[in-house]
Amino acid sequence: MDLAPSDRRCFHCGGPLPAAGRFTVQIDGSPRPVCCAGCEAAVKLILSQGLGRFYEFREPPSQVPAGGMRNWSAFDREAALRRYTHECGNGERELSLQIEGLHCAACAWLIESSLGREAGLRQIQVNASTARAELRFDPHATTLSRLLARIEALGFVPLPLSFVGDAAEGTAERRAALKRLGVAGLGMMQVTTFAVSLYAGLLQGIAPDLEQFLRFVSLLVATPVVLYAAQPFFVSAWRSLRARRPGMDVPVALSVGAAYLFSVYSTLRGRGAVYFDSVVMFTFFLLLGRYVEMSLRHRAGLKHDALSRLLPQSSLRLSGAQAERVTPDELRAGDRVRVLPGERVPADGRLNLGSTEVDESLLTGESAPQVRRPGHALTAGTLNLTGVIEMTVTHVGQDSTLAAVSRLLERARAVRPAVADLADRVAAWFVTGVLLLAAAVALYWLHTDATRAFATVLAVLVVTCPCALSLATPAALAAATTRLARAGVLVARGRVLEHLADADRILFDKTGTLTRGEPRLEGVVVLEPRLTAAECLAVAAALEEHSEHPLARAFAHLPAAAGVREVRSVAGRGIEGVIGETRYRIGRSEFVREGCGRTTTPGASDREHTSVVLGDGSGPLAEFHLADVLRADARETVRRLTALGLTPGIASGDRSGPVAAAARQLGHIAATANLTADDKLELVRSLRSAGHRVVMVGDGVNDAPVLAAADVSAAIASGTQLAQVSADLVLLGEGLAGLTCAVETSRRLMRIIRQNLIWAVLYNLTAVPLAASGLVEPWMAAIGMSASSLLVVLNAMRLLDRTAPRRVEPPARLTPAIPA
Amino acid sequence: MNVIYLLIPLGLILLALSVWAFFWAVRSGQFDDLDSPGVQILLDDDRAPPPAAPGSRDA
Repeated sequence: MDLAPSDRRCFHCGGPLPAAGRFTVQIDGSPRPVCCAGCEAAVKLILSQGLGRFYEFREPPSQVPAGGMRNWSAFDREAALRRYTHECGNGERELSLQIEGLHCAACAWLIESSLGREAGLRQIQVNASTARAELRFDPHATTLSRLLARIEALGFVPLPLSFVGDAAEGTAERRAALKRLGVAGLGMMQVTTFAVSLYAGLLQGIAPDLEQFLRFVSLLVATPVVLYAAQPFFVSAWRSLRARRPGMDVPVALSVGAAYLFSVYSTLRGRGAVYFDSVVMFTFFLLLGRYVEMSLRHRAGLKHDALSRLLPQSSLRLSGAQAERVTPDELRAGDRVRVLPGERVPADGRLNLGSTEVDESLLTGESAPQVRRPGHALTAGTLNLTGVIEMTVTHVGQDSTLAAVSRLLERARAVRPAVADLADRVAAWFVTGVLLLAAAVALYWLHTDATRAFATVLAVLVVTCPCALSLATPAALAAATTRLARAGVLVARGRVLEHLADADRILFDKTGTLTRGEPRLEGVVVLEPRLTAAECLAVAAALEEHSEHPLARAFAHLPAAAGVREVRSVAGRGIEGVIGETRYRIGRSEFVREGCGRTTTPGASDREHTSVVLGDGSGPLAEFHLADVLRADARETVRRLTALGLTPGIASGDRSGPVAAAARQLGHIAATANLTADDKLELVRSLRSAGHRVVMVGDGVNDAPVLAAADVSAAIASGTQLAQVSADLVLLGEGLAGLTCAVETSRRLMRIIRQNLIWAVLYNLTAVPLAASGLVEPWMAAIGMSASSLLVVLNAMRLLDRTAPRRVEPPARLTPAIPA
Repeated sequence: MNVIYLLIPLGLILLALSVWAFFWAVRSGQFDDLDSPGVQILLDDDRAPPPAAPGSRDA
């Protein structure tokens, strides 16, 4: 590589550059290349507003502006304004946006600063960690469409969130939890100070009135902690009791409640032990674990219904001779809609007019575009690639295929808790046992020595309080998730690490998961001796520049021949154009052969490559082999996972040829091709019913139900946003390497949890008989409990050792896309 | 030791104040985004703003 990577890549989005220097921008006086007009416009807009420092502070790369600007005018309609915005007095309106492509603080700053100059915008607040923006604007001074278009021009995709939805729910939940945590933390500091004095007093003597005073003060501070901060435990315990399945929260609530009430009783009576410190400390540590778990869950964006993102923001509805832009939820069955190339199909329907190719890869996994002619069905969310078409809407909203996929996902998810709840069921037995034991002890002591009954029962409850048990797992989980986050793996559901540790099968989807999801030129076969490969490529590149087809991207970096005229694109078949005096055709083999009057020979589906043929009037000139290349670290990851004892496999919706090629390159792993979403689901289920623990790695919408059905699911964040929503693990960046780290960490985690549990059990086995026999005072039990908890937490902290891997930038981004 | 009867109530008042301040901070959204503000101080520089149309921003 002779140039620094930054000079070989687009200055704005980091994408590969097209044929030399067609778009450049001036940065501090020196020209920098950009890949397309969209990026050029974004950079110019940013620079013209004096916001160029964005490029110094952002975490690269920015999002590629989606091909062409969307038409946002539908959002200025009264109906859309009512749905997405909210009147906030004095004529101004508020709305929330989810912003795709927003991934660092510099992006947030850029949007705030750039939009802040827009006349009519009253207030904007962009939150980088949730990728949300809150806007307040004056609809008389500006329009919503103008603001949305401005955000898009900066290279982000704004997605207005409906006010009917739960835009603010996550924030409210997080704030409430933070307040509880704060109260418990501040309370803990105070109460512990008083407790130390009281313990010191116990050893060396203390004035009785001072002791009483300290107890009252502790009571005063502990009360809000118990009544406010510990409230979730009581609520959850009560709920689990009503469902007749006592969970871990029952003994927690019971211990906190009983210890608090007993301490209050002792304080008022002026005699007996108080446990305010234990109560408060216990509450704080439990809340801390839950808070960490919750913020991780929110960060993975689980709450947002991302399926709706696949629908276009607006579409052209035809009524008579008129066309108007409407939002998808205004469409009804029977409406006629025009869909332009590059737009997504807004609803399920039937094609009336025109023919085109659609990209259904998100729904079916099929990477090759599908031809659609009048009479064919169209599915909501698929991408119209080439032609202008008109369709009649047949199904909208809940009746659509997209909604069905979403329901499939819900159902698959609903099956899962049977396994996930095992820990809770064990806990239920344990809890029931403890409660029965406490009752037995109470009965025994009431008959022998009634005055000591309460203290003894409390000692039993406190000693057996599954502090270590219930703290062992969350503390270790929090440590493990932190370690993984450093390595670029987000854990969306804490429990999943337990399953990952004993997984023995790992299934990969191919397109976009094992591969990068973009075609690359693998080889050229020149069929006409008078031409060189370079000449053929130049012609091909020139023609393919005019194509919207995904395969055309493979030619985008090549130097193109000049002077293409009379370009004609034939949907689903290829493209035709004149260079010099020759009329060329490029595309499917049959399309090219028709151009020179020959009969067709259909291509075999089991070939490893997708072929594109170039021809002129005399016959085919060259054949180009295109393939979707494997991610740089796919091979190494598969090798290391195998070494860790997982059997890898590929489950793909793609054709058998490319799938077999990928399997061979990865070291002859098992592979199944041509699978529909249902087939994949069946495959995962059959593996699971054969006793295997299955990890599924995917990235598309079609994977979502499959992902949910697997024991553990993982998705790559650079893929479709949706997969993140349904996956347990999200791999950030472009690589698969995080998977290995996740498996290793999960095994260490399980080891540590096991040690913690063994400790907790040993401790209980020793302490319970002692407590039940009345030998342990409640204060000793509390010290034992705290010490045991401390030990467990410290053990969990070992997961955070310094050798924890840092996130490694994938090497893929630095290598040139096309070999020299 | 009698001073403790004064100091502890004072400490409790401080505690109440800190809880109140913490609640206010949480409510006003100061804990919602812990990443951006740290970088924003670097980004909002003193270089003269470009001659762009003046915006009306009350934020």
